[in-house]
Amino acid sequence: MSPVATTTGLGTGSPGDGGAGLGEGAARRRELILAQSKRSLGRRHLAGRVAVALCMVAVAISLAPLVALVAYTTSRGVHALSVDFFTKIPTPAGIAGGGISNAIVGSLIIVGLAAVMAVPVGIATALFLLERRGRIAGTIRFTADVLTGVPSIALGIFAYTVLVEPFAHFSAIAGSFALAVLMLPVIIRSSEAAMRNVPRSEWEAGLALGVRRGRVVRSIVLRGALPGLVTGNLLAVARAVGETAPLLFTTGSQLFNLNPAQPTAAVPLTIFSLGTSPFPADQQTAWGAAFVLLVFVLVLSIVARLVAGRLNRQAR
Amino acid sequence: MPDDGARTASTLEEIPPAERTPIAGVKEALQRRWSRPGGRGYAGLRWGGAGLFTAVAVALVVSLLTSSSQAFAHSGLSLLWTGTWDPTHKIYGAETFIVGTLITTAVALVLAVPIGVATAAFLSELAPRWLATPLSVLIDLIAAVPSIVVGLWGLLVLTPAFAHHVEPFLKKIPVLEWFFHGPALGPSMLLAGVVLAVMILPTMVALSRTALAGVALTDREAARALGGTRWQVVRRAVIPGARTGIEGAVTLAMGRALGESIAVAMVIGNAYVIPHSLLAPGATLGSAIINNFGGVTPGLDRSEVIALVVILLALTALVNAGGQLLLRSRAREQVS
Amino acid sequence: MTIETAEAAAVSLEDVSVSFGSHRVVRDVTLDLARNRVTALVGPSGCGKTTILRAINRLHDDTGGKVTGRVTVGDLDVYGRDTQPELVRSRVGMVFQRPNPFPTMSIFDNVVAGLRLNGVRNKALLHEAAEAALHHAALWDLVKDRLQTPAVRLSGGQQQRLCIARALAIEPEVLLMDEPCSSLDPIATAKIEELITRLSSDVTIGLVTHNMFQATRVSHYTAFFLLGEDRATGELIEYGRTVDLFDTPRDPRTKAYVSGEVG
Ligand SMILES: Nc1ncnc2c1ncn2[C@@H]1O[C@H](COP(=O)(O)OP(=O)(O)O)[C@@H](O)[C@H]1O
Ligand SMILES: [Mg+2]
Repeated sequence: MSPVATTTGLGTGSPGDGGAGLGEGAARRRELILAQSKRSLGRRHLAGRVAVALCMVAVAISLAPLVALVAYTTSRGVHALSVDFFTKIPTPAGIAGGGISNAIVGSLIIVGLAAVMAVPVGIATALFLLERRGRIAGTIRFTADVLTGVPSIALGIFAYTVLVEPFAHFSAIAGSFALAVLMLPVIIRSSEAAMRNVPRSEWEAGLALGVRRGRVVRSIVLRGALPGLVTGNLLAVARAVGETAPLLFTTGSQLFNLNPAQPTAAVPLTIFSLGTSPFPADQQTAWGAAFVLLVFVLVLSIVARLVAGRLNRQAR
Repeated sequence: MPDDGARTASTLEEIPPAERTPIAGVKEALQRRWSRPGGRGYAGLRWGGAGLFTAVAVALVVSLLTSSSQAFAHSGLSLLWTGTWDPTHKIYGAETFIVGTLITTAVALVLAVPIGVATAAFLSELAPRWLATPLSVLIDLIAAVPSIVVGLWGLLVLTPAFAHHVEPFLKKIPVLEWFFHGPALGPSMLLAGVVLAVMILPTMVALSRTALAGVALTDREAARALGGTRWQVVRRAVIPGARTGIEGAVTLAMGRALGESIAVAMVIGNAYVIPHSLLAPGATLGSAIINNFGGVTPGLDRSEVIALVVILLALTALVNAGGQLLLRSRAREQVS
Repeated sequence: MTIETAEAAAVSLEDVSVSFGSHRVVRDVTLDLARNRVTALVGPSGCGKTTILRAINRLHDDTGGKVTGRVTVGDLDVYGRDTQPELVRSRVGMVFQRPNPFPTMSIFDNVVAGLRLNGVRNKALLHEAAEAALHHAALWDLVKDRLQTPAVRLSGGQQQRLCIARALAIEPEVLLMDEPCSSLDPIATAKIEELITRLSSDVTIGLVTHNMFQATRVSHYTAFFLLGEDRATGELIEYGRTVDLFDTPRDPRTKAYVSGEVG
């Protein structure tokens, strides 16, 4: 493949160079392309400006409804807040006053129990995925991914069939179970990702010292992955606490109750039943409950990120 | 990474690196696993977690299938294409709900996909960092707003606004009247789609942004070095390079829209007829489950509602599994 | 520094310095790339070779690098007030250290990507340019029957030649190559070197390499860079005909480096 052979080898009919040096075709193309480039540049810049403007409009459209929603909930919600709001139970339909203490306590119990069920199983499953390759792990991972997308109402009905129907009454536990199933795949995948970030070399250093594998995992892997674990699990809790559909047919009652085996109120359910009520006084309480829920969820999300950031910095 | 058994070997010295293959380590490892203190506990923990998780997943499917078996025995698959839901006459059909679910999801995607991708493109490619970072954090946080709060807002704020302003306005637009006709009531397929769009937008933005940011700098520079303008680089190199990730985002957003029940139930109007217009009220699988499950008596009626759950589950599982498989096959293709 | 060549310069740099924030990466480079010749930029890694190369087609515009001094490509003042960076780049092609074909595009779409970005829509011109460029990059016979297959199916060396074809398709006057062989095996490297030699009759080539033998094999001129006394800022130490620079280096540092005492 000498230079000469290649350049002349193209033949006369070919669009390539006719001979050595800059060929006719190339010179003509260079001129055409450069001219076209110059001619089109204004249009290309204009198209870019239009596109950027459209993207900015899209940003506004993305943010506007959500910001409006948060702002509106806040403005309506703060008016509902009072000491009574956090300490009393609801008044009968349509009558102003009362509070949602039953629902707040109920939600904490339900979500707390859900976390107690889901976090250990989730982290253990994540460890399983971390330690094992092949068919079984692949199947479990795939199941978790698909389960992440299961509608939350289906989880509520599932919990109903296994924990409500057999006992013939609603209970906090049934709702917790539904939320735990909801949280599990999220916890599994985020925990696995967090623990995979711990360098393999640190494992092996521990193992090389003859330390038991279980101990290596506890003292090196779990500790190294702590920021990620905390973030992932807190975000799973934040997601669960706002879920309504899983509780709709599982926990149901408006009573103040501390026994997990008994029917229990929850904040999202209160918002649903009072929000769909025709009475303005009930709707006002619903806004208050929505505001409380919103603040709780947002604070949890922010804390999750901050904690992760801080622990991350410490680890370095 | 060697197989589980081999890595249970306790020290690196015991098994030279070259032999730390599945076969070499398995026998000793199996012996050691049960004799060493702590090995049993750790293995038990892992297998216990994985086993419980699998059991729950299996129980979910089995219990819903069992509970709906009476319904499928009664209606068979004709449940899927029967348009009437009339428990008093023992006629059960999910067609209205399926159509409602697909239409509201389509409306949500039509709104959320272009807006979400454009927003992500702005945040990840076009905006200066001082602007992009806080906006991205804001959108990530807003993604955590519970659907019941979105539903409440849709019900008490958007519904009157749609009835009095948005829907009458849409009816006046010449070409679109084919979609938007009939009385402007407020609760409608359109409103449900809009509420769903609001709910899936943060997901679309966050996942698309990740996908766009994942496009290699070298791809961007290739386009830049060829004379592309800033926007051309985004349009011709970055967005195509992120296509797989954006498709994943759309799939997940679609799964979320299909399966959302509570917020939709609050704004869709719950009419059990196939809607002739986007302004007409309707019902989705999720909203129908919520509205029917509470009141029904045990037996066939309840079983039929659970059959709706099974259909919804199958629909979302199909979408999600399809999305997952698509992503995996793409990933494999790119490696080879 | 005197430039002992009578050949016309296609690119010239005068007192060019580049800084990132407070870090001056390379300073006061005055250098010509002779028309239709290969000029090699050599030196240990970190001395600013890539940085200088990227200053020629204004790739620092988007990475926060600040360029001072004067760069001209032909009659075009690269950093002139009215100069559009896009038009500089459509006259200056670039080949990167790692092959970077657009992964979602076919072979054909990759080759004509530059034309399309420059607003060319004419199908005949696209095909003509693609074929010519692929011939130039010695890929035509290999890919002519599978132009629509994804570019990522090609081997690493073929991908790099595709990137060369992509850069050549817009018929640039200047081709900048940043260690184009550093990720390739010896056979693929030999092919690219052969290509460089052949292309140099048509385009001006600036070639960054850390491989001294490559510089002696393919370049007509060589510019030797080294970190200055502060160990932070790269400098042009010596520039001249490749044979002269390697056989009779004038600067003791050059002599030390080419004879393998350093690096
Ligand atoms: N985008 C950038 N931001 C900050 N520093 C950079 C950037 N690009 C290059 N540098 C710095 O410039 C110096 C020279 O880099 P480079 O030009 O790539 O050297 P060479 O190509 O000779 O190996 C390095 O110290 C590097 O840290
Ligand atoms: Mg370099």
